Amino acid sequence: MNDIFVLIEHRQGVIRDITFELLAFGRNLANKNNAKLTAIIFADNSKKIIDKIKTQADKITVIENPIFKDFNAESYQIALAEIIKKENPFITLIGHTAFGMDLCSSLATELKIPFTTDCLDVEINGKKLSVTRQMYDGKLNVKLQLQENDSYLVSLRAGTFPAEDGNLNAEIEKIESPISAEPDYRKFIEYIEVVAGEVDITKSDVVIGIGRGIKEKDNLDIIDEFADAIGGVVGCSRPIVDAEWLPKDRQIGSSGKTIKPKLYIAIGISGAFQHVMGMKSADTIIAINKDPNAPIFNEADYGIVDDLFKVIPVLKNKILEAKA
Amino acid sequence: MNFGLTNDQKMLQKEVRNFAETELKPLASEIDVSGEFPSENIKKLAEMGLMGIIVPEKYSGSEFDFISLAIAIEEISRVCASTGVIVAVNNSLVSYPILQFGNEEQKQKYLPPLCIGEKIGAMGITEPNAGSDVAAMEATAKLNGDHYILNGTKRFITNGTAADTFVVFAYTDKDAGYKGMSCFIVERDLEGFSLGKHEDLMGIRATGNCELIFEDVKVPKENLLGKEGDGFKICMNTLDVSRIDIGAQGVGIAQAALDESIKYSKERKTFGKPICHHEMIQNMLAEMATKIQAARLLVYYVGYLKDKGVKRFSKESAMAKYYAADIAVDVTRKAVQIHGGYGYTKDYPVERFYRDARILELYEGTSEIQKIVIARDLVK
Amino acid sequence: MNIIVCIKRVPQTAEAEVKVDSSGKDIEKDRLIFDTNESDTYALEEAVLQKEKFGGSITVITVGDEDSEETLRIALAKGADEAIRIKVEDLDELDGFKTAQILHKIIKDMDFDIIFTGCLATDDAYSQVGTTLAKLLEIPHASLVTKIELSENSADAYRELEGGLLEHLKIKLPALFTIQTGINVPRYASLIAIRRAARKELNEISKTEFGEMKSNSFIEELFTPPVSKLAEILSGNPDEVSEKLTGIIKEKGLI
Ligand SMILES: Cc1cc2nc3c(=O)[nH]c(=O)nc-3n(C[C@H](O)[C@H](O)[C@H](O)COP(=O)(O)OP(=O)(O)OC[C@H]3O[C@@H](n4cnc5c(N)ncnc54)[C@H](O)[C@@H]3O)c2cc1C
Ligand SMILES: Cc1cc2nc3c(=O)[nH]c(=O)nc-3n(C[C@H](O)[C@H](O)[C@H](O)COP(=O)(O)OP(=O)(O)OC[C@H]3O[C@@H](n4cnc5c(N)ncnc54)[C@H](O)[C@@H]3O)c2cc1C
Repeated sequence: MNDIFVLIEHRQGVIRDITFELLAFGRNLANKNNAKLTAIIFADNSKKIIDKIKTQADKITVIENPIFKDFNAESYQIALAEIIKKENPFITLIGHTAFGMDLCSSLATELKIPFTTDCLDVEINGKKLSVTRQMYDGKLNVKLQLQENDSYLVSLRAGTFPAEDGNLNAEIEKIESPISAEPDYRKFIEYIEVVAGEVDITKSDVVIGIGRGIKEKDNLDIIDEFADAIGGVVGCSRPIVDAEWLPKDRQIGSSGKTIKPKLYIAIGISGAFQHVMGMKSADTIIAINKDPNAPIFNEADYGIVDDLFKVIPVLKNKILEAKA
Repeated sequence: MNFGLTNDQKMLQKEVRNFAETELKPLASEIDVSGEFPSENIKKLAEMGLMGIIVPEKYSGSEFDFISLAIAIEEISRVCASTGVIVAVNNSLVSYPILQFGNEEQKQKYLPPLCIGEKIGAMGITEPNAGSDVAAMEATAKLNGDHYILNGTKRFITNGTAADTFVVFAYTDKDAGYKGMSCFIVERDLEGFSLGKHEDLMGIRATGNCELIFEDVKVPKENLLGKEGDGFKICMNTLDVSRIDIGAQGVGIAQAALDESIKYSKERKTFGKPICHHEMIQNMLAEMATKIQAARLLVYYVGYLKDKGVKRFSKESAMAKYYAADIAVDVTRKAVQIHGGYGYTKDYPVERFYRDARILELYEGTSEIQKIVIARDLVK
Repeated sequence: MNIIVCIKRVPQTAEAEVKVDSSGKDIEKDRLIFDTNESDTYALEEAVLQKEKFGGSITVITVGDEDSEETLRIALAKGADEAIRIKVEDLDELDGFKTAQILHKIIKDMDFDIIFTGCLATDDAYSQVGTTLAKLLEIPHASLVTKIELSENSADAYRELEGGLLEHLKIKLPALFTIQTGINVPRYASLIAIRRAARKELNEISKTEFGEMKSNSFIEELFTPPVSKLAEILSGNPDEVSEKLTGIIKEKGLI
C-alpha cells in the first residue's frame, strides 16, 4: 500500500500534542496495512522537531523555508498539494485543530480527493476507507464510507488517540519548498495572546465549570457561593463567554484553557469534545446535568442526573457542614 | 376555513418564543417573588415591537392582526404571566381604545410613545364599589371651561405604578345612567393625580397593581376619548377585544404547566416506573393537552372574527376568555398534582403558574360575568 | 460591500433526546425543534453590522427543504436583503462537500465582496462547507473568525486558535470567512421586520439545474457512541446525592 502521511503541527516553536497523537495513530494504521509512515514537516528550522519525532515515523519529509515559521493555511495548502500529488500517499492524516480546519477542505478540494473531518477512527479495507465521527452534539456516532479513491484526506479529532513512544529511525528527506513566498492574498501578521485576568483557573486545585445550563447571568451567584464553599474557582464552557457572562480567560476547552485540577465539577455542561479537551486531565471529574444522555457522563467519574438548581444549594450546605 | 398560521404569524411565534425564553424567562420567578415591575424588559419588548402589536406602523406600531396578538401574548405568558398582562394592557386596554375611538391628534400624540416603550399605559375602570357592576362607578368628570375636573378612586389597576398614560372612565352625567359615562386619557403628571395602595397580589405579582386617586385633577378637554357619554360603549367594546389577550394568557400559562408536567412525569419514578406510565397521570396529561388546544382555537377564533371586521363578538369573546380561564386553573392545578409535594414548593414553577392562573377568572370580567354575557345572548 | 451569508436550519439537539430512526442512517426528527444553526446566526449578524457600517446588500442562501424558508425569512427580518433557497428534498444525501458544490454553482455568478458562513453546523459537524466553497470559488478564506475589520480591498481577520490565541491575518477581498460564536451579539427580528420579510419573494432554484454532484461519503450507520467509561451515577434526591458526593469529595481529601 502507498504511504500514510502525517502532517506535523507546531506553533511558536512547540510541537503540538496532536502531532504525537497523529503519529501514534498513523503508525498503528501503517503496521496494520503494511504501509510506510511519512511525517511531513513544514518549518523555518526543523532540527528540534526532527529530534523529537524521528523515532516515530519511517520517513520524515522536511520542507524548510522562512515562510513556514508561522502557520498560514494557504502556504501550507499550496506546498502540501504539490507533495501529495507527487507522492500519492494512500491517506494523509491532519489534526482537526484550528490549523487543520483552516487547511484541509481547500487541500482536498485542490487535490480532488475524498475528505472528511473530525474523525475518531479510520478503517482501511482494501482500497476502501471508512471512518467514524460524531454528529448531533456528540449524541450519535456515524460510520461513513468515503468515495473510493487512490488517495484520501482525513482530519482526526485531537485528544482521541494516546501518544506513544516509537522505536523507528526515520529516514530524512529534505525537499525544496514548492513556493518561496506567502501568497499576497493571505498574509500572516501575528499571534495575539489572550490578556490574563485576575483569576488563573489553571492554577487552582478545584475548578467548578459552569455551562449553558445556568440559563442566566444572575444565577452565577449560586455557583460563586458554591465555589467559595468548596474552595475552588469558577471556569466555564464557551457559550458563557460568548454571552459575556464570564471573561475569556475562564473558558475551559480547546479554544480556551486546559486545566489539570485535582477536582473538576462540570455543572450544566453537555460535554462537547472541545470542552472535554480542556478538562479531561483532571484527577477527579464530577458532572451534574439533568440530561442522563449528556456526553459529559462519559468523561466523569461521578455523575448526578438532576436539576443543578436543586442540587447545588444542598450540596453547598453539605460541603460546608463537612468542612466544619 | 383555514387552521394554519400564516408565514408572518409563524415567524412571530418563533421569534417571540426565542425572545421570551432568553430575555423574559430568566426574570420570571424573581419578579414573582419581589413583585418588582420589570421596567428593563419593557424596553426590550418595545424594541421587538411587542408594546404596539396591533397599532398601525404610522403610529410606530407593528401592525399585526389580532390572531398574532394572541400568539404573542400566549408566548410571553408561557414564560412570565406578569409580563403577559403588562403587554396585553398596553396593547388592548390602552392602545386599542385610543386607536379605535381617538381622533387623529390623540392617536398621533399618545400611540407612538406607547409603542416604542417611552410610555406605559394602564386602564382604570374598577373602583372600590364598582367591579362587576361597572355602571356603579362613582368617579366624576365635570366640564369646567377648557378642562374636566376629575374626581374618584380606581382600584386594582394593572401597570398602575409604572404607567404614564391612563385610560380612565368617569361619569360626566351621573343622571343619564351608563349613557352618562365618558372616557379620558389622563397623563400621570397632572396635579391631584396620585397613586394609592399598592396591591400585594397572589399571582401576576410584578404588574405594578395599585390604586389611582384623582382629586380635582384638571384633564384637558381634548383628552376626552370619543364623545361625552361614549364611555360605556368604549369600555364594553374594548373588553370584547382585550378578552382575546386574557384568553391567550390562559393558554400560555396552561401550556407552560403542561410542558413542565410532561417533563417531570418522565423523570419522576414511583412504584418502579416513571409516573408518566401510570394511567391516572396519563389521563391528566391527555385532558390538559386537549383543553389547552380547545381554548387556543377559541381564542384564535375571536381574533379571526375581529380580523375579519365582524362588529359584534361579545359572546364569542366571553366564551374564549371564560373557557381559557377555566382550563388554565384546571390545568395548573393538575400540574401541581402531577408534581406531588414538589409542586407545592417554589423549587418548581408550577405553583407560580397555579397562582397566576387564578387571576384569569377574575379580571376583565369575572367568569360569572362572562357566563352572563354568553347566556344573555343565548336567550335574548 | 455586497455580502453573501450561507445559513442552515438544524435540529437543536444539545438538550434533546436524539434517536436513530428505523433506517439506521438518520435520526427521528419529528420531536426535535429546528432553528438556524448557532454560528450562522453570528455570521448573519456580522454581515448586518458590516452593512450598517459600509452599506451594500446582504444575500442569504440556504441549501434546504421547504421548511428552511422560515430560516431565510427570519434572516431577511434580521437585516438580509435577498434570500435564495436551493431546493433539495432529500437532505440526508448531502454532505459538506456536496453542499459546498451546490453553493458554488450559484455563487460563482454572483457579485460579492465577502461571504460569511458559520464555522460549524451542529448537526453533521463537518466544519467543511465554508472552506471548501472558498476553494471552489478560488477566493481566500479564514476560518474560526472571532473578529474582523474591513477596509476597501482587504480585511484584518482574527482567527481563534487553541488556548484562545488569536491568529491575525490580512486577506484580500473578495474572501470568505467562517464565523465563530461570540464574535457579536445576534439581534432579534422585530415584528415590523418580520411582517415585511414574510411577504418578500424568495428566490428558489432547483438543485437539479446544476446537474449531478458527487458526495464525498455515504452514511453506513448511525449509532449511540460506545461508552468508554461511564460515570458512577449517584442516585437519590438532592439531599441524598449531595450527602454521597460530599462523602466522596471528603474521602479523596479534596476538602
Ligand atoms: C472550533 C470550536 C472551538 C470550541 N471551543 C470550545 C471551548 O474551548 N470550550 C467549550 O466549552 N466549548 C467550545 N466550543 C463549543 C462546543 O462545541 C459546545 O458548543 C459548548 O461546549 C457547549 O457548551 P455547554 O455544554 O455549556 O452548552 P450546551 O451544549 O447547550 O449544554 C448545556 C447542558 O446543560 C444541561 N442543563 C440545562 N439546564 C440544566 C439544569 N437546570 N440542571 C442541570 N443541567 C442542565 C443540559 O442538559 C445540557 O447538557 C467550541 C466549538 C468550536 C466549533
Ligand atoms: C390583579 C388584578 C388586576 C386588575 N386590573 C385591572 C385593571 O387594570 N383595570 C381595571 O379597571 N380593573 C382591574 N381589575 C379589577 C377587576 O376587573 C375586578 O376585580 C373584577 O371586575 C371583579 O370586580 P370585584 O373585584 O369588585 O368583584 P365583585 O364585582 O364584587 O364580585 C364579587 C363576586 O360576585 C360575583 N358576581 C358579581 N355580580 C354578579 C352577578 N350579577 N351574578 C353572579 N355573580 C356575580 C363575581 O363574579 C365575583 O365572584 C383587576 C383586578 C385584579 C385582582
